[in-house]
Amino acid sequence: MTYLLEGKNLNKTFREKAKTTIALSEVNFCLNKGEILGVVGESGSGKTTLLKAIAGMLKLDQGSLFYNGTEYTGQKPRQTGQFLQMIFQDANSSFDPRMVMEKSLIESGRREKNPERIRQLVQLVGLEEELLQRKPAALSGGQCQRMAIARAFYSDAEIFLCDEMTSALDVSTQARILELLRDLKKEGRLSAVFVSHDIALVSMLCDRIMVMKDGKCVEEGEISEVIRNPSDDYTRALLESARRQSIQEPIG
Amino acid sequence: MQDRILEIKDLQIAYDEELAVKGANLFVERGEVLCIVGESGSGKSTVIRAITGNKQIKIPGGQILFEGKDLIPLKNRERQKLLGTRIGLIQQNPAGAFNPIRKIDKQFRETLKSHRLPFLKEELDKMFTSIGLKNTTDILKSRPYEMSGGMNQRIAIAAAMLMDPELLLCDEITSALDVTTAISVTDELLRVKNEHRTTIILVTHNLGIAANIADRIAIMSKGEVIEFDKADRILHDPQKEYTKNLLRDVPKLSS
Amino acid sequence: MRKKKRARIKIIIVAALALLLLLCAVFAGVLAPHDPSAPNAAVIRIAPCAEYPLGTDNLGRCVLSRVLYGGRTTIAATFLLVFISFAVGTLIGILCGYYGGIVDKLLMRVADVLLAFPQMVIAIAVAGILNGGMTGAMISMGVTMWVSFARLARSHTFALKNEAYIQAAVFAGKSDLYILLFHIFPNLLAPVLTQALTQIGTTMIGLSGLSFLGLGVIPPTPEWGAMIAEARAYIQIAPWTIMGPAAAVIITIILFNYLGDAVMDYREV
Repeated sequence: MTYLLEGKNLNKTFREKAKTTIALSEVNFCLNKGEILGVVGESGSGKTTLLKAIAGMLKLDQGSLFYNGTEYTGQKPRQTGQFLQMIFQDANSSFDPRMVMEKSLIESGRREKNPERIRQLVQLVGLEEELLQRKPAALSGGQCQRMAIARAFYSDAEIFLCDEMTSALDVSTQARILELLRDLKKEGRLSAVFVSHDIALVSMLCDRIMVMKDGKCVEEGEISEVIRNPSDDYTRALLESARRQSIQEPIG
Repeated sequence: MQDRILEIKDLQIAYDEELAVKGANLFVERGEVLCIVGESGSGKSTVIRAITGNKQIKIPGGQILFEGKDLIPLKNRERQKLLGTRIGLIQQNPAGAFNPIRKIDKQFRETLKSHRLPFLKEELDKMFTSIGLKNTTDILKSRPYEMSGGMNQRIAIAAAMLMDPELLLCDEITSALDVTTAISVTDELLRVKNEHRTTIILVTHNLGIAANIADRIAIMSKGEVIEFDKADRILHDPQKEYTKNLLRDVPKLSS
Repeated sequence: MRKKKRARIKIIIVAALALLLLLCAVFAGVLAPHDPSAPNAAVIRIAPCAEYPLGTDNLGRCVLSRVLYGGRTTIAATFLLVFISFAVGTLIGILCGYYGGIVDKLLMRVADVLLAFPQMVIAIAVAGILNGGMTGAMISMGVTMWVSFARLARSHTFALKNEAYIQAAVFAGKSDLYILLFHIFPNLLAPVLTQALTQIGTTMIGLSGLSFLGLGVIPPTPEWGAMIAEARAYIQIAPWTIMGPAAAVIITIILFNYLGDAVMDYREV
């Protein structure tokens, strides 16, 4: 069976003078079409490195990457951008401060420009068309992140790589973005790798989860299974802090 | 008996012409944790700025009573004396509070010296242990840039606790941290509260964090305190629709 | 907001004055009451009067006319020099900052070496070798002037190229040239232009200084520095001959420095 995206035996070590950091150690992953894979870990766990490796933003020491069964290891973002798009943590700075949104979106398209489609996409992500004429500084963090989602769709990329895309936002804005992503997923429009430090957030959105620590994948599986029955101590610790930080009693 | 260490009455705060806080009423009792919760732009951090006497804001009306004494008419000198000794402040970005390349040791000594206090290793040891920091010697020898954000935030708590303030103001100190690190920082705040009987005001956008440590919660929206009560009541029986939404928006584990 | 408004008003006023100054230089031909380089034995070293508002010099030439024409030489040379250094420096800076590597290291070490000496010392040495003349003076100043632009552009490019929006453009398949032209250049233009404004004053001093030392314009072309040097000989009998050009230099430099500062303030508010 071929996956939409697959990584085999990914290894990456950073060497800086006297210090060597193992950022990825024998990491394997796969992503099916229409699925969201959550990657959870603390800062320094290698989760962002994994995302960058998938996107071709850094060179792997070892390992291979496949898109629809075809190997693309070693391709740079200019090529990988044809099938994947990165959605960054700081949404405002992912748009050129001197350009209006419409221009930024047009720029991301690889086909002939289609303003009508941009308008449709902007509506799809729950924004008003007027916002297209504004510069990023005149938009809130949440609005910018929605624009980033619209941009990723406009680029015709099949896979979204989301790097802590909601951690800079307010809890409420985060909840709205999450709703949007869930709706898009339900419509079958979304295949994504969703990196976050918040396992609760991941549990609300993703189908499968990978828990990372010190560059290794310590646990992997169906999200409900991992929550009910974690096999690793670290996963248990993550779940414990997530429970403590969430408000358990549901309210009407 | 009620012992309100800080009370805010009808406080109005303005940036330039515009009112950022439109008449806030709040109080916190000695030894309690008060969490001010709201979205960005709700005016929650502005309240902290008013207490610390930030120069960029104007206060057209209201009172900030610290132990019954209004802070607003205080001269800079008097306010400065109060801040750092009896009122401590920790900001979102601990890097702003420390010189990144100077040893923690030196920075602590300087702070103590400026308040004419001796540098006593044993005292420091005791304080570090009381807020859950081990290896005092190692920490003192290191420099802020060498440490993680969570560690720096814990040292910032230690630095604020040097003077053993009665009131500790924390402005979004967990927002930039991982969930696990955020929990450990709030745990330390709880320890500060229990061991030192320090009153804490924590500003956050995450009601989940507040649920963890607050005795009292104030919900702010658009410059107004829309709900203010004991934490249990707010969390289990919220009156306002806005508060209910905030509660609903906290990420929950689901399977 | 109010602070920003005040800063903007300040810029408008100073810019208007600077523009007035430039117009005086451009229309020197209309404004000057006399021929700037025609000697007149009948009116040697006359104190300021109605006919000669700033007096006359050793050869009976009108000081006011010479100051006005001199402004032309000085200001034109300054602007040209600042513009060329700006263009060359920014180009080098952007390329170094974006691509890095060995060329970047090499050029930045050259820049360090050039910065290790006072700018004027290098300028005097180079101008000496080139044997004077305004072109020589400009080249000698230009040798070091591009450095500040290059460093500024490089450091901005360095910061900009890691911005998420540059990454986004790469994912959209845009070429390096496109990114440099449409994302990096427009975003660093403002700080580098501000730097150019603040450089105008020092460049003017530099060029006038070289002329003063006889390494700039060749007499009888009117130029402020050269005029001051010439008038030095008889400063005790005819102090006005030095006052005119000196005042012109001081006013111009203060004006442009102030303009640069005002713009910088505005960007920071």
